[in-house]
Amino acid sequence: MADTEQTLLEIIKAHAVGLTGELTRETPIANLGIDSFAVVEIIYEVEEKLGVEVPFNANQNPFGEMKTVGDLLDALAKLMAQKSPA
Amino acid sequence: MSRRVVVTGLGAVSSLGLNTLEFWNGLAGGKCGIVRRTLGPGDGLTITASIAPADAFDAYAETLGRDMARADRFSRLAVAAAEEALKDSGIEITPELGGRGAAIIGTGIGGAGSQDEAYHAMLTKGRRPHPLTILRIIPNAPASHLSIRFGLRGPAFAVSSACASGAHAIGVCADIIRSGAADFGLAGASEAVLSYGPLEAWKAMHIMSDDLCRPFSKSRKGLVIGEGAGVLMLEDYDRARKRGAAIYAELVGFGMNADGKDMINPAVDGAAGAMRAAIEGLRLDAASLYVNAHGTGTLMNDPTETKAIREVFGADADRLLVSSTKSMHGHLLGAAGGVEAVAAILALKHGIVPPTINYDEKDPDCDLDYCPNEARPRRLEFALSNSFAFGGLNAVLAFRRL
Repeated sequence: MADTEQTLLEIIKAHAVGLTGELTRETPIANLGIDSFAVVEIIYEVEEKLGVEVPFNANQNPFGEMKTVGDLLDALAKLMAQKSPA
Repeated sequence: MSRRVVVTGLGAVSSLGLNTLEFWNGLAGGKCGIVRRTLGPGDGLTITASIAPADAFDAYAETLGRDMARADRFSRLAVAAAEEALKDSGIEITPELGGRGAAIIGTGIGGAGSQDEAYHAMLTKGRRPHPLTILRIIPNAPASHLSIRFGLRGPAFAVSSACASGAHAIGVCADIIRSGAADFGLAGASEAVLSYGPLEAWKAMHIMSDDLCRPFSKSRKGLVIGEGAGVLMLEDYDRARKRGAAIYAELVGFGMNADGKDMINPAVDGAAGAMRAAIEGLRLDAASLYVNAHGTGTLMNDPTETKAIREVFGADADRLLVSSTKSMHGHLLGAAGGVEAVAAILALKHGIVPPTINYDEKDPDCDLDYCPNEARPRRLEFALSNSFAFGGLNAVLAFRRL
């Protein structure tokens, strides 16, 4: 699980052009400087690296109720748990 | 009196070097930019005029920032050449000025490498294309990147006419400035097709040389594909003069037409007509004219182009100098007209005609002075840059030294 979190954090970091300082669970998503297209790229990389399918349509608000990086990590953990064992 | 259009900046990236100075030194020195490379699976060697060493441009492209790291090679090449041309021109693009600036960049194919990579991975490994794939391959990507990067908000689009794309882009940009729709513009072309799939498709035409490119020489074996970009800063003459810009040359003519005959074979009358249109109204002396030929080193082009030059200039054809710089930088396809315009302009500026290298056997069907193998000093007043594309689309640019 820690590896999964680490992978997502690294992917986010690579796209977070607005980030100043550390990337932590508490970092607000709004401070990352991620535009709508960077979201698509992040999801692509998550799917490629972690072998999970992220339900997403770029015409909707990508983050829904999520506010912080921690919320993203939790959402990913949920997806990973749902993933049927290979 | 209509507006005059001048060239105030140059940028070139090619197998002869990563900037205009290296490009010109290569041309004047008769340097051959052709190398052997392995592009696909197996050990099949391909002859290309690649930027060498292969990673030389990649290292440079890394300094161009995040947007370029995510873009296709043909966009990176265009941005590198455009950045050089912009810097060279000394124009500072303020938000107000940006609305008067054009970005017109041609390409024959577009993001061929990204397309090849994405579809290869999809078809052979079942991987999905990267979400940026479309934005990487669309032919207007370089024009858009230039617009975004430099704040150019005037007319901006791609021009595509195979091997005449660059000349069409430059000619059309000049017309736009003449019309008053822009006061200046970055115009040229970019191409990066040195990828396995596209190269195999080229090989299937059986027109590729297996060693060197020998334009106008009887020993010719075909063309060698190159990569790179050539971009000019075009500017309204009055504006350039007012700001005290260094002016390379004036774009005094642009001839374009279509053969209307065949997808592959060029026609003498089409090529001749485009040249005639480019020099119409100019009082030129053939002894001070340089023709940067399309000169692909193919049996289809060389005798046809020679006949067309004879048809336009008559007996004077023996007094002018012709050369094909493709013998050195290869055929840059869509970008050919871009880098060859730079070559023609620098020949005017320096009074030196770059050679046709690898010329080793006279061809009775190609009987002009092609400036074989060694550059020649010549007091030049005019230079033509010929581009004749597959599909019979012709574009010829005429420059005058100022």
